[in-house]
Amino acid sequence: MLKYTIQRFFAMILTLIIIATATFFLLAAVPGDPLVTKAERLSEEQKERMYAKYGLDKGVLERYIITMKGFFVGDFGESITFPGETVWSIAEAKLPVSARLGIQQMLIGITVGLGLGIIAAMKKGTWADYTIITLSILLISIPHLVFGLLLQYIFAGGVVNILPTIGWPEGDELWFGGWEYTILPTLTGCFSYIASYTRLLKTSMLDVVNQDYVMTAESKGLSNMRIIFKHVLRNSFIPVCTNLPMSVAMCITGSFFIEKIFAIPGIGLYFTSAVQSRDLSIVLGWTVLISAMYIIVVFITDILYTVVDPRIRIRGGKR
Amino acid sequence: MDNIKANNSGFKPEDFKIIGCDNADSDAMARPTITYWQDAWRRLRKNPVAMISLVVLVIVIIMAAVVPIATGWDLYAIDAVNKNQGPSSIHLFGTDSLGRDLFTRVWQGARVSLIVAIACTIIQAVIGCLYGGIMAYFGGIVDDIMMRIIEIVTSVPSLLVNLLMMMVLGNGMGALLVAMCITSWCATARQMRGMIMQLRESEYVLAAETLGASPKRIIIKHLIPNCLGVLILNLATHIPQYIFTESGLSFLGLGLQAPEISLGNLLSAGQEQMMFYPSQLICPSIVLVVIVLAFNLLGDGLRDALDPRLRQ
Repeated sequence: MLKYTIQRFFAMILTLIIIATATFFLLAAVPGDPLVTKAERLSEEQKERMYAKYGLDKGVLERYIITMKGFFVGDFGESITFPGETVWSIAEAKLPVSARLGIQQMLIGITVGLGLGIIAAMKKGTWADYTIITLSILLISIPHLVFGLLLQYIFAGGVVNILPTIGWPEGDELWFGGWEYTILPTLTGCFSYIASYTRLLKTSMLDVVNQDYVMTAESKGLSNMRIIFKHVLRNSFIPVCTNLPMSVAMCITGSFFIEKIFAIPGIGLYFTSAVQSRDLSIVLGWTVLISAMYIIVVFITDILYTVVDPRIRIRGGKR
Repeated sequence: MDNIKANNSGFKPEDFKIIGCDNADSDAMARPTITYWQDAWRRLRKNPVAMISLVVLVIVIIMAAVVPIATGWDLYAIDAVNKNQGPSSIHLFGTDSLGRDLFTRVWQGARVSLIVAIACTIIQAVIGCLYGGIMAYFGGIVDDIMMRIIEIVTSVPSLLVNLLMMMVLGNGMGALLVAMCITSWCATARQMRGMIMQLRESEYVLAAETLGASPKRIIIKHLIPNCLGVLILNLATHIPQYIFTESGLSFLGLGLQAPEISLGNLLSAGQEQMMFYPSQLICPSIVLVVIVLAFNLLGDGLRDALDPRLRQ
């Protein structure tokens, strides 16, 4: 078990190094000079100093080594478009915003989704089941881009005018408060979770119901409720756990669109504008950081399953 | 003892008679044999939802092919007099902020989105099959290394890679295709590899080999039908994702850019005008949702139809 964890940990570090390398050389191939518009009016000497500041006067390989060294000591680079802003200062300002949006989406979406999934599985073949499943297919087919835009239209005065449709709580209200601002973005994001988790839990519950141990429990004369909560639900949560890292990825990148629609000053909005303005050092730093967040989440969930499900532990031990 | 038993049950030996045992037709087929594809089509036809979405898709494709040519409106010519009109009999979806006919533009956008999605799907299928086939064929260290590559590519959220590629390659159709395909082939490659490995070890392929079937026959009879079913399903579920990603990238301003027309561009233009002229947002939205919904529902139907294990 410990050996498996250590192996996975080093694989994770190696993956991150490869991602950083690939991103670096990809960005080194971006045509054009990121400083060209800024340096236009400067004297030769100033230009030289400016290029030296961002290390752009050196060769690609030398720059690569400096960048990688920086990553190891936690220096992810400084913005070219907005001097003084570093990857970390941006993280401090923008990460809580994106994190709150993501956590709200996932909490509401997954809870409601699992609840509906249980209902659909328990009432299999009734109108409740059909309604829930049809709705979830419909919801999964509406990209949250469209969903967000339509919600924004409806609540921004197109039909009713009761909720703010742009902006995000800041300052003291960063984590708690300003709820009315968060309703629409959260709603936009959470529907895709509701849809996918409803279907996932329903299928997995119906799989588990046909297992022998459920029949054993029935023949012991256990009550239906007891069977469902003690045997069926516990086992049907395993595929749900497997899906969680996917959801985190969906959450990080899905929020890019939501942040753009509702003008939420989070990581997604910043990253896309950095890509548009070709702010290479920020793009590089954030790509590595976002990938790292995602890979670490996958790593932790992987380790957690082995705790939750003994069957995986055995397989993991053999590796 | 035996007699008593017989008497108790009410049967006598005379009650039974030998009717003979004729095995002559025991290996004849009870039903006419049908191929895998006939069977799949038969099952798909029974699924009303899938058939309706198939019809809708055909209509959408015809509309996307015909409308931009047939309406006679210019896609780009600006008409300052007739700008921001609501839907009418002349302009079915109204006009946009520059007076261009939205009906023509929305279907042109749908055409571009469909072309992008289908082109990406074909690229994904070709690369995925080749890569997966090579992995399964060579196995061992080649398989290991190629699998690690896939793991690394999939360990980055794909939208991030899409954005980076668009940044490196610039905006345009070719760049968009590369950017969207660069991560998606992994899923196909993995599936094809799994499928081929599984088939190679399955009992019925072993049985076919033992019966003296040639490799050619095994490939044609077993490998291709099984893999093709999985492949078609995989591609059908990817098409709506491509349409979504394309419109998303264009909406973020990093996909196709104006004056190119795509559903994402139209949505983003619609958002600017939505408070006063909601039809400019709602029309492209509806077309986008209908296309994605039809592909998703058809994909669901295909899943049931193509699964060889459900064959009866």
